[in-house]
Amino acid sequence: MNPRAGQEGANAQLGRHVRLVAGKEMVFDSENFFWDHEDWSEEAARELAREAGLEELGEKHWRVMRFFREYFLYNGRAPLNNQLKKGTGLTLLELEGLFPGGIKHGARRLAGLPNPKTCN
Amino acid sequence: MKKIDLTVNGRKHEFEVGDQTVLLDVLREDLDLIGAKQSCDRKGQCGACMVLVDGKAVRSCLAKAVKLDGSEVITVEGLGTPDNPHLIQEAFVLAGAVQCGFCTPGMIMAAKGLLDQNPDPGVEEIKKALRHNLCRCTGYKKIVEAVRLAGSFLRGEKKPEDLYPEPDAPMLGVSHPRPSAMIKACGVARFCADYKIKDALELAVVRSPLAHAKIKSIDTSEAEKMPGVAGVVTAKDVKGTNILKYIKSDRPVLCGDKVRYIGDPIVAVAADTRERALAAAEAVKVELEPLPVLENIGQAMAEGVVQVHDDIPNMCYEQPIVKGDADAAFAGSAAVVEAEFQTQINHQAPLEPEVTVAYWERDDDEDKLVIVGRSINIHLHLGMLQEAMGHENMRYEEAFVGGQFGIKIDVITEGIAGAAAIHFKRPVRYVPSLAESMLASSKRHAFNMKVRMGADENGMITAYANDLVVDNGAYYSIGHVVVLRALWMLAGSYNVPALDVKGRLVYTNNPWGSAARGAGPPQQNFALESAVDMLARKMGQDPLEFRYKNFLQVGQSGSTGQAVEQWPIPALMDAMRPHYQRAVEEAKANQGATIKRGVGLACGSFGIGGPGDASVVAVELDDDGGVSIFAAAADPGEGNDSMLTQIACEVMGLGMDKVRLNTRSTDVTAASGPAAGSRITYMMGNALIDGLRQIKELMAETGAKTGKELEAAGKPRRCLGRKKNIEATPMDPVTGQGPNFETQVHAVQMAELEVNTETGEVKVIKMTTAVDAGTVIHPQNLAGQLEGGMDMGVGYALREEYVAGETSDWRNFKFPTMATSFDMEVVVLETPRDTGPLGATGVGEMCMVPTAPAVLNAIDDAIGVRITTLPATPEKVKAALAGAGA
Repeated sequence: MNPRAGQEGANAQLGRHVRLVAGKEMVFDSENFFWDHEDWSEEAARELAREAGLEELGEKHWRVMRFFREYFLYNGRAPLNNQLKKGTGLTLLELEGLFPGGIKHGARRLAGLPNPKTCN
Repeated sequence: MKKIDLTVNGRKHEFEVGDQTVLLDVLREDLDLIGAKQSCDRKGQCGACMVLVDGKAVRSCLAKAVKLDGSEVITVEGLGTPDNPHLIQEAFVLAGAVQCGFCTPGMIMAAKGLLDQNPDPGVEEIKKALRHNLCRCTGYKKIVEAVRLAGSFLRGEKKPEDLYPEPDAPMLGVSHPRPSAMIKACGVARFCADYKIKDALELAVVRSPLAHAKIKSIDTSEAEKMPGVAGVVTAKDVKGTNILKYIKSDRPVLCGDKVRYIGDPIVAVAADTRERALAAAEAVKVELEPLPVLENIGQAMAEGVVQVHDDIPNMCYEQPIVKGDADAAFAGSAAVVEAEFQTQINHQAPLEPEVTVAYWERDDDEDKLVIVGRSINIHLHLGMLQEAMGHENMRYEEAFVGGQFGIKIDVITEGIAGAAAIHFKRPVRYVPSLAESMLASSKRHAFNMKVRMGADENGMITAYANDLVVDNGAYYSIGHVVVLRALWMLAGSYNVPALDVKGRLVYTNNPWGSAARGAGPPQQNFALESAVDMLARKMGQDPLEFRYKNFLQVGQSGSTGQAVEQWPIPALMDAMRPHYQRAVEEAKANQGATIKRGVGLACGSFGIGGPGDASVVAVELDDDGGVSIFAAAADPGEGNDSMLTQIACEVMGLGMDKVRLNTRSTDVTAASGPAAGSRITYMMGNALIDGLRQIKELMAETGAKTGKELEAAGKPRRCLGRKKNIEATPMDPVTGQGPNFETQVHAVQMAELEVNTETGEVKVIKMTTAVDAGTVIHPQNLAGQLEGGMDMGVGYALREEYVAGETSDWRNFKFPTMATSFDMEVVVLETPRDTGPLGATGVGEMCMVPTAPAVLNAIDDAIGVRITTLPATPEKVKAALAGAGA
């Protein structure tokens, strides 16, 4: 049995919930951010993007998500917008408009970056 | 104004001072000598500002400068520097007497004053000389030891160089001086209030005097006309959501429509000086329409009462635990005890006020707002502040932090300071008084617990019931996490086959509860360990042996049904047994007519590594073969700098000078999670080891010895280590069976005390802790946590309570002092934990989990009455004696 199966009760207590995304059960936090950045896959990003109303992910979307992930895997934190602009060559306006939910709740969430952990 | 001459640290200065100017302000403001600290609102209660004036130790917050003309002043900076420290400073470092370091300069100056007069003082002389100096971290034991050590240095009997560990000394189990200790001892570590920013506005905040009210109007017109005032900030001026969201979106930066507890912030006033800001705040008129006040959980849970939050019911969280058949178990029990236990709202009481400094920094196309604060979770707090203030380009920097004990898991003054900095587009300093810091900050939750416990004819526990209701106060913060932690550890160290437990969380108009050392377990363990003692006594069994036979065994399960794999507490009780036998004999031999002596035990098995918790730490191989660590590992005094450094040295085979810590800024650190829940060593230590393992693998693969060589071989010099706990089985919403912690730290504590049956006063003679926290990395830091925790636990048991609107300083809070300090002993066992970093766990909270019940059990042992409501004040003891017919 998948060790995560059937944990909705437990994770809800902890502000987390389990979902099946791209064929894999994974944990999300109360703001629907990935709990574990290693759960992320391109297919999961596509599925979550479609759910958010973004049918197709274009080159700019992937450029932004790849920058987010590379930055996180190097630094262990999310970049600030200034770093995102430099890293992607896109303006803040472009970045905000590119993903439903904007930079944080759109791009950063779809890129699989977790929120900073709180006390549990 | 009057001109005075002072010689400070050997240099002559001329000052112009007013009649009321105190020496502390001259030193800090005019000379930027930041070693002398301000904590007690210049009431002379804390000694953090102690300096020498003409050879005598004085509290500089009480010393009027006009009276000191011609005097010679020596501050902690005048003793020595980190490169050339004074022997007393070295003694404090080597004795492990420096934790957060906020009280340390004052302690050192008081010690200097004493040792100059008496180079060989005894313990009582030291306690008397340092009686004005407060410390929340150490329990005073290591401070007394440091003064004695300093005396031996000054007398030439010992030399510091003989006490420093050898460079090749092992990295585990050896107390290498903390990396941060010497700069704290020399007074050059900068705490928040020590940050001076040119042209910064100073803030004062208008707070609610009522516990529940509608804000009808706010009139700032008079205040805004006052001299030096730059303006005001109200809720409508906050650019973002104005909400500091932790788990629920319920706490505003500044209140706009309602206030929900005494101290809720309403208006911030900014002026060119703090005095002018405070004067203008007095001129702000806030019209409040009182609402019904929910003073306790009973009122808040009643039908039809007002809700604290319109969109959330007062009873805002519920989780039961049902294990076995408790009804049947109680029915079949040979003995059952029953009681209702209550714990108080309490202040965590770090010495440092809740200060924030905010300033602007040039950035590419949008200036960056820098928040200098006291957070123990800088990345989470950065995100909270970005949303609340509507400004993204920010950095949070943790200053040196003067104690924490849970209070710094929340944003307190950062939101107001940040909002004002944005509103005025200027740097600001928000330096609240101690009284305001108490009003503004979170508190330890009050618990109400109706419990029953049964045992069979052999004295084996059969069942435990606990109807546990937590007073959440006005805002949620981490509310249900505290309930969950209490439930996860509900059965403590014992095998309890049947449980019938209800945990509930209720909003009231009391000060809002949040993290406080232990966060839930100290409260519920008070009920559990009291009930265990009551049952043992009812059955005529020895409290030690009763506990021993009821300990959980490996393979048996705790409160949530998870079987335990390592459970070394029986060995701890074996280690405690001779101490207990000695204490019982001494108590028998020392009973007086009025003074009764008692001995009490309590245990604690404290979970570390919560289900699903995760952490990341970035590590980098430097060009000299050393390593740099990038982790938001706040260190408000526990010694996390030692832990990270010594683990890295052990894993990489490096000397301590080759490990570089980067832990304070969101611009450079990994988001490693909070310095809370005793998780830093376990979570970040493991993540660090994972990162170092990756670096070592790359080094082995390429033969590289340095970062440059790794890069030349086409490999990264930096790796991201991680630790992720297993997502255990589900916690059932009906039975509460499911996940629990990955490991535990265990302790048995024993209190020896005397009760004066005429006055009701309780004097603790000695506390002993037997602890098993796994592999010991730094013995002094381990003992330091336990000693400080025992002192805090005794204060919690006997004296401390926060009463909103009344508690306003260290004296009426009943802060522990040298006079209330007591003898302590720590017995250490080491069972390396299978999942711990190099076998270690953590001990920062466990240290006070068993303390209050041990004290209350000892009171029962002494006088035969059971106090069930904390704190056990003399009045309660006398009332209990009267009720028992004594």
